[in-house]
Amino acid sequence: MIKLHKRFDLLSLLLPVVLATECSISAPADRDEPIQGEQIELSLPQKAGSVRFMVVGDTGTGKSAQRGLARTMEAARGKFAFEFVLMLGDNLYGSEKASDYRKKFEEPYQPLLDAGVKFYASLGNHDEPQQRLYEQFNMNGERFYSFKVKNVKFFALDSTYMSPEQLKWTEEELRSSNEDWKICFFHHPLYSSGGRHGSDVELRKVLEPLFVQYGVDAVFAGHEHFYERLKPQKEIHYFISGAGGKLRKGDLERGSPLTAAGFDQGQSFMLIEISGDEMHFQTLTTGGATVDKGTLLRREKLTKTNGTEDKARVGAAGSSNDSSKRATPSNGEASRTE
Amino acid sequence: MKAQIWRITVITLTTFGLAVPSFAGQKSEGKHSPAIEDFLERAEKYLELRNSLEKKLKKPGDRAKPAEIRAHQLALAELVRGARIDAKEGDVLCPEAVKELRQILKSEFQGPGAKTAKATVKENAPQPFECKVNQSYPADAPVTTIPPSLLLKLPELPDHIEYRFVGSNLILRDVKANIIVDCARGIASMS
Repeated sequence: MIKLHKRFDLLSLLLPVVLATECSISAPADRDEPIQGEQIELSLPQKAGSVRFMVVGDTGTGKSAQRGLARTMEAARGKFAFEFVLMLGDNLYGSEKASDYRKKFEEPYQPLLDAGVKFYASLGNHDEPQQRLYEQFNMNGERFYSFKVKNVKFFALDSTYMSPEQLKWTEEELRSSNEDWKICFFHHPLYSSGGRHGSDVELRKVLEPLFVQYGVDAVFAGHEHFYERLKPQKEIHYFISGAGGKLRKGDLERGSPLTAAGFDQGQSFMLIEISGDEMHFQTLTTGGATVDKGTLLRREKLTKTNGTEDKARVGAAGSSNDSSKRATPSNGEASRTE
Repeated sequence: MKAQIWRITVITLTTFGLAVPSFAGQKSEGKHSPAIEDFLERAEKYLELRNSLEKKLKKPGDRAKPAEIRAHQLALAELVRGARIDAKEGDVLCPEAVKELRQILKSEFQGPGAKTAKATVKENAPQPFECKVNQSYPADAPVTTIPPSLLLKLPELPDHIEYRFVGSNLILRDVKANIIVDCARGIASMS
């Protein structure tokens, strides 16, 4: 049972508040079989007008574990109508012929695709960069890109090749974004309690300062084949959701000071709902069990007004036109309006 | 009192802002050495060749089907191989440039921060495979992650050509054609 608590002192106004903080690594034996929708218990509030999405990584095996989890995703969608998915890389393992795209992506997620769910992919170390051209990954031909949904800006990065050009773009995009929420997603985790890989310290050195300076609220990564919610690092919430197809059982270091919650005994995916200043999350297994859930508040945003820095809450985003050439064109698809 | 709080807040935030590195323009914009200039010119020439060959093909758009992406890549690779039938190691990564690149890599993998830089490269290195010019990068081989700090030091390559490691070899990979453009063997010591 996860405890919920809030802190209301002055300091906490400067910190993101996580309304689910008891550290735990779940280790129940999970059912390998996907379950029916009515068996899933969702705790997400499902408020009118909220931004709803799914997060999953390291999916592209085409094997039964991926397909089983995909069926649970479909069942979950029957109760929580998420509109898009963030893919955290390693979207296709091995060869990438047309038949591989079918087997490792289209077939497992056909029901979601048929329902109009959009997949926004980022590239992992097992992915060919030419996935950027694939229509169903919505990358618009770019290895790194951004898109906006209501008051949330998403930034997909290519962590396998963090070139100076990409860093420059990332900084400019983050700087110019005035949306209430900034969420980054990419493959390699900046913080991780994984035994196989662990934190990508080199990537952290270059990205974390940007995330801190420009008010990133949450970061999702894969690469590690388990689920982990990290304790907030410099006011930013980090999640690893890398068990969408692959799994490395027992790889999560027990007793890690970084871990707030984790699960490495089965496949998992995350459901996210952003409403106002709150991000609600719930992590589900193939068997429909909840291994983590909670709510976090967005960071206070720093806005620059006429050269001075002023701490203020930024209101709802105005224009849907992104200035970056790597932003999804404002054709009405990515910018969702009621 | 309010004014005092305001002053303290502005000073604190300004100090914090100045302390955070900005990466815009952090890479050296200074002139390269003649050897590196030569290397970059060769890389550009390769790019011109590849682009001219690509014009013969129907390009997949940004919302392509997998079969189109695959067909384009295979066809482009064949055209490039045909046009570079006599290509050999050192044609792009010329020996003089390799000497300088070796020094850059040495500073990265033996200097401060070497431990994490090496860990980054090694942690998901593919099983070693024989690197040959014009060969396709194997489908079942993951790519090594190049430390961002190293990419800041290495000469910036033209679009769609990237550095990767295969063991201690540095390769140039054309990601559009998925072929190895050139290879500098044993240039990076990871031990």
